[in-house]
Amino acid sequence: MPGLLRRLIRGWTLIRGNRAGLIGFLGLVGYFLLTFILPFFVEFDGSPKLDEITAPPGSRIQLAVHREDAQRFRSLEDLAGRTVGVVTQTGGLGFIEPYQDQLTVKRYRWNSRVRGPGIELALKDLANRKIEAMLIFSKSWEDLVENQADPELHKLLLENVVISNPTLGPMSLLGTDTQGRDIASHIVHGGRVLILTALIGGVLSTLIAVILGSLAAMLGGVLDQILTALTNLFLAIPRFPLLVVMAGLISFENTLLLGVLIGLLGWPALMRAIRAQVLSLRERDFVEAARSLGLSTPHIMFREILPNMISFVSINLIFSITSAMYEQVGLVVLGLAPINDYTWGIMLFFGRTRGTLFNPDGISMALSPVMAIALFQVCLVLFARALEEMFDPRLRQP
Amino acid sequence: MSRILKSYPVQIVLQALLTILAVMTFTFVLIRLMPGNPIEVLVEQILTNEGIAYEEAYDRVAASFDIDPNASLLDQYLAWLWDLLRLDLGESITSPGTRVVDEILRFLPWTVFAVGAGLLISFVLGIVLGMLMAYYRNSSLDYALSLFASFMTGIPNYIWGLLIVIVLGIHLNWFSVGELRGTYDPGLTPGFNLAFLWSVVEHAMLPIVTYVVSALGGWMLNMKSSTMSVLNEDYVNVAEARGLQDSRIIFSYVGRNASLPLFTQLTISIGFVLGSGVVIEEIFVYWGIGHYLFQSITVRDYTSMQGVFLILTMTVVLANVFADLTYGWLDPRVRISGER
Repeated sequence: MPGLLRRLIRGWTLIRGNRAGLIGFLGLVGYFLLTFILPFFVEFDGSPKLDEITAPPGSRIQLAVHREDAQRFRSLEDLAGRTVGVVTQTGGLGFIEPYQDQLTVKRYRWNSRVRGPGIELALKDLANRKIEAMLIFSKSWEDLVENQADPELHKLLLENVVISNPTLGPMSLLGTDTQGRDIASHIVHGGRVLILTALIGGVLSTLIAVILGSLAAMLGGVLDQILTALTNLFLAIPRFPLLVVMAGLISFENTLLLGVLIGLLGWPALMRAIRAQVLSLRERDFVEAARSLGLSTPHIMFREILPNMISFVSINLIFSITSAMYEQVGLVVLGLAPINDYTWGIMLFFGRTRGTLFNPDGISMALSPVMAIALFQVCLVLFARALEEMFDPRLRQP
Repeated sequence: MSRILKSYPVQIVLQALLTILAVMTFTFVLIRLMPGNPIEVLVEQILTNEGIAYEEAYDRVAASFDIDPNASLLDQYLAWLWDLLRLDLGESITSPGTRVVDEILRFLPWTVFAVGAGLLISFVLGIVLGMLMAYYRNSSLDYALSLFASFMTGIPNYIWGLLIVIVLGIHLNWFSVGELRGTYDPGLTPGFNLAFLWSVVEHAMLPIVTYVVSALGGWMLNMKSSTMSVLNEDYVNVAEARGLQDSRIIFSYVGRNASLPLFTQLTISIGFVLGSGVVIEEIFVYWGIGHYLFQSITVRDYTSMQGVFLILTMTVVLANVFADLTYGWLDPRVRISGER
């Protein structure tokens, strides 16, 4: 155990000296916390809230009161015993629940001039002091008060209604999607399956490459020829189109299964590189020595050769993970991946297909998963390149 | 005769043909083994549209098909192979009367144009920037470009495409995403006139930029490490000692030798970029071969899929053959050692 600790400390000192690598490493740690730890603390927001649809990042519930009460009513506690207007189907109703005993709540329906009293009516009531305060979503305030089309109403509202507490509700960090659900909570929950799938794909393809590559190089002869021919064949297969076709025809139920398929197709290029590495290591003196000692081939492979390739393999493992992620999300963008897990990829797919791309307010729905995926890939690449430099002194020295 | 057969170029070409055949056989079997049957897809369509009996709809669809999807796999394969030998890729299963060859010839040029332009521009830029990085290594320029390159290689190309659409197209409004659908403006007659050519370039611009941005970083980093290893070679030191002009050393000694390994990578990357075109062309609604493939998948058009796979595989394999055959010409050292 102290040996492992010492190694970890040495690794840390090395990575600390490489600025880009440090950024990549810390980024990966951050992603681990975000996708594997944070979901325990942040709840997945699955309830549609009609008033908060495609709200821009930073939107929140605010407290609107009559201009004369602006100083008196700043929080819900101040309002004890009074009447507060809440629009149903917004986050406001859930927000007011803990205070329900102290307040008289008057409910207004969302967006329904026909079906019942709507937000505009609530605002009018507030202006006429029929209610003392109102919970309003910042975007609705913008739409209905500041940009009110009806000049008469505009005047009435501007003269009588103000926001007394602009930071009453929690800010939704990344805004909301087309159903008014909090995007930040989706980002927290949407990474795990995606990253696990990429890990499965990357680890599986690296494993196959290492096994086949070292078998071919160590045993040689006919087996080597067969394996090399097989690899050349697999290299010529248009991999991504094949994945697209298979995913399109099979329509997977399980995202992790997709990772297995990606892994089964992803090994050829690395297998060639591993085979070349083993071939060159095999001729080194220490392997000759081991062989003349009469050590078995498995011993030579696992104890002499593999430890010398471990840096090469681990760097390529990271690159395999990035390409598994690439292929997986590519399939999602085309709409060919399973949609039962609400991953970053699915968010991206919905963000693209539901037209939010063309709505400047809804840009967060597409941009958040895009950035989450992009930065994850960048962190992996930065970390892998730093490893490359650390392991290969030629790259480190000028 | 046997000497001709054993010569290097013939061997390589033979091997390439075998590879193509093997890959096509593999994908043929794989695609046919997949669940979902084009007849069923069409029958479903007819049933929902016209409301006739299942058997009637089935017979009608089956009769209109160029191939018999119920024949044994081997029979289908042999029939397909025989057609292939006559350079006939068959008719589209789902739209009878459309020949797959014609469809491919209609869609392929656009993809070749966009992918080719993207790869060439990124390659040339990458070589220049990579050499700059090697010459100014460990300067702030090098660090900035390295970080930039990591971003470019790390972020998937379709994400770049989406970012371009979202940020440049919608937020900054530099271009109208809707108007750039397709490969040229409708209403223009294809031909050698300025309006048409400009429209073609305009429509291909976004895919090309995407291909360039996503491929550039890789070329830069590879060229940097390649240049750095060449800079340590004796012949560069000798050239400097002889007092040759800097420009001559940079271009003829360092540049030429350092870029050699990258040509091989260029041929390999052609296959990758062509393949990833499926997503890019869907994002920009650019009607190339990837778009055609995606359309064929949604209706389970086996013959069209098979045709696209043939083209993609042939491109990959022939690009490799091209690399093998021209490498000796690019790098005389390989030629000499090969003859010995």
